[in-house]
Amino acid sequence: MKKILIVDDEEDMIWSLQKNLNHESLKVDIITASSGEEALKILAANPVDLIITDIKMPGISGLELLVEVKNRYPKTGVIVMTAYPSPEYKNEALAKGGLHYIEKPFDINELRKIIKRVLKETSLFKGTVAGVELSDIIQLNCLSKTTTALAVNTADHEGIIYFDKGDIVHAACNGRVGEEAFYTILCFEGGTLETRKHANPPPRTINQHSEALLMEGARRMDEAKAGGALTAGEVDSWDFDGAITPEKPLTSINSEKTEPSTASPKEAQMVSTKEEQMGNLQELLTEFTNIPGVNTACLVGRDGFLLDSVTIAGTDAETIGAIASSGFGASESMGNQLGKGMLTMTMIEYENGPVMLAPVGGEAFLVIVADKNSNLGMIRLKIKKHAGDIATTASI
Amino acid sequence: MEEGKILDIAHISFLDMIKVMISSSGAANAKGTLIRNALTTAGKMQEVDYGSFDEFVASIDNASNPITQIEGKATHNGDFVFGLAKCPFGPSIKNYTQIFEKLPEGYADFTTEFNKTSMITDKYRIGEGAGVSPFCAVHQPMRSAVAEKIKIGGKKIQIFQLGCKSGAGKKGFADKWLEASGITKEVVDKVLDNNMCCYYIQIM
Repeated sequence: MKKILIVDDEEDMIWSLQKNLNHESLKVDIITASSGEEALKILAANPVDLIITDIKMPGISGLELLVEVKNRYPKTGVIVMTAYPSPEYKNEALAKGGLHYIEKPFDINELRKIIKRVLKETSLFKGTVAGVELSDIIQLNCLSKTTTALAVNTADHEGIIYFDKGDIVHAACNGRVGEEAFYTILCFEGGTLETRKHANPPPRTINQHSEALLMEGARRMDEAKAGGALTAGEVDSWDFDGAITPEKPLTSINSEKTEPSTASPKEAQMVSTKEEQMGNLQELLTEFTNIPGVNTACLVGRDGFLLDSVTIAGTDAETIGAIASSGFGASESMGNQLGKGMLTMTMIEYENGPVMLAPVGGEAFLVIVADKNSNLGMIRLKIKKHAGDIATTASI
Repeated sequence: MEEGKILDIAHISFLDMIKVMISSSGAANAKGTLIRNALTTAGKMQEVDYGSFDEFVASIDNASNPITQIEGKATHNGDFVFGLAKCPFGPSIKNYTQIFEKLPEGYADFTTEFNKTSMITDKYRIGEGAGVSPFCAVHQPMRSAVAEKIKIGGKKIQIFQLGCKSGAGKKGFADKWLEASGITKEVVDKVLDNNMCCYYIQIM
């Protein structure tokens, strides 16, 4: 059975992923770690097929873990996830060898599909093909209409080219992106290749047709050869590993930058601060309905009377509040009678999705009504994050 | 058999149902459920517009007033302050305590819960100390909601619950609504000497 290691410092996210990935369609063993350090200890003792890691964690970040994994366990795939999406994170994660970059909240079914594809790939043939030209490999990817990333590494240069259904859509090389990066990569002198099947293509930076790109690339190579700046003719001895894990592990692109870029954490901090400063109850409730699959967020007094709500059209929030107060009160009473202490959160799972209830202050509670494929971990995270703000805003 | 020892099972079931609600889902939820039921009942009452305040008081005397229909006759004590001599739940409580000696457990917590400030008690200007038993959570919102069906001279009226007295004679006062209505505690205290419930009617 394939093994997946989930790495996240948020126990709710681990809980949610563990619960949702223990699905009959996947049939995988799931191991969890609450930090990058713990993940590396686990990996030293247990080889795993796939790692799903958060980016922002205390200690070793997800991107640092990605680099370590790619160096030490090149056959292990890595999916990177973050609640603070930014183009910098995405480019860095994919450039460092992440198979996928996913933004929280995500559709758990989509993640299951990605995992199935990735794990299937690890079961395919692996090998090394030498003596091929980079342009041949690019053409091969174009003709096979594949969605993949082709990481190219020389002693001095690193680059990556993304294909989306055979189209060349993005390239990055030493800080450059787009066509110029593509041409630069094409003129590399020998090196190693690694394909990353099903890697998520970043936003398109190349609009030229593949044939035109290759022709222009060939012209530039000739010019370079004539000028002696680059011996393009020497690009003739590539080691090509057709599997997602190369025999020769790639050194990470921008490997000298093991810390996330300074811009991204700042951006993340700005997002966080902005959220913390939200003073409007409706905006706070919208935090929940913005999660895919969540269609109702209500703030209800413990007596069942509605204080505020954000719902889809046609939803009777007053009735939801009245009914939910029974469930909330019953959960609380049960806890009291069983000596379980204060109720912090409760979830009732129905055929068509869960209802989550959580106390807000001393006199109210939140009701979150969601579809069955919604991200429960994200809902739990948001409840923990915003319950205090909601209580303050609503003066309860 | 002495009549007072005959169990009124309709009332007893209601009192025990409140106890079950409190123990199964908490006093707050039970309070909300009772208030919602009371508001639903009030919503069924007919709207009426009295030509004058005197006409309104006369309708209480002849028991045609919607408020009178849910609680019996009240007395106008001047300055729009009314006293209700008989609590509509008095017979039920008496019947229950005659058989079982004391009311079900949890009632005190429930009464405390009713007196807490909440959106719904603010809306109907009830509780806030004026609740002396769980039945106040039915009676007070129902009366205030019925008042929304009444106009005097085309103007809406609203009720402020000022105080209440338990069967044991303990008086409860709603300081918040005393202040809002401008009626003094002394006035209400005096009204409660001869009544079980005291409220103020404001013509908007």
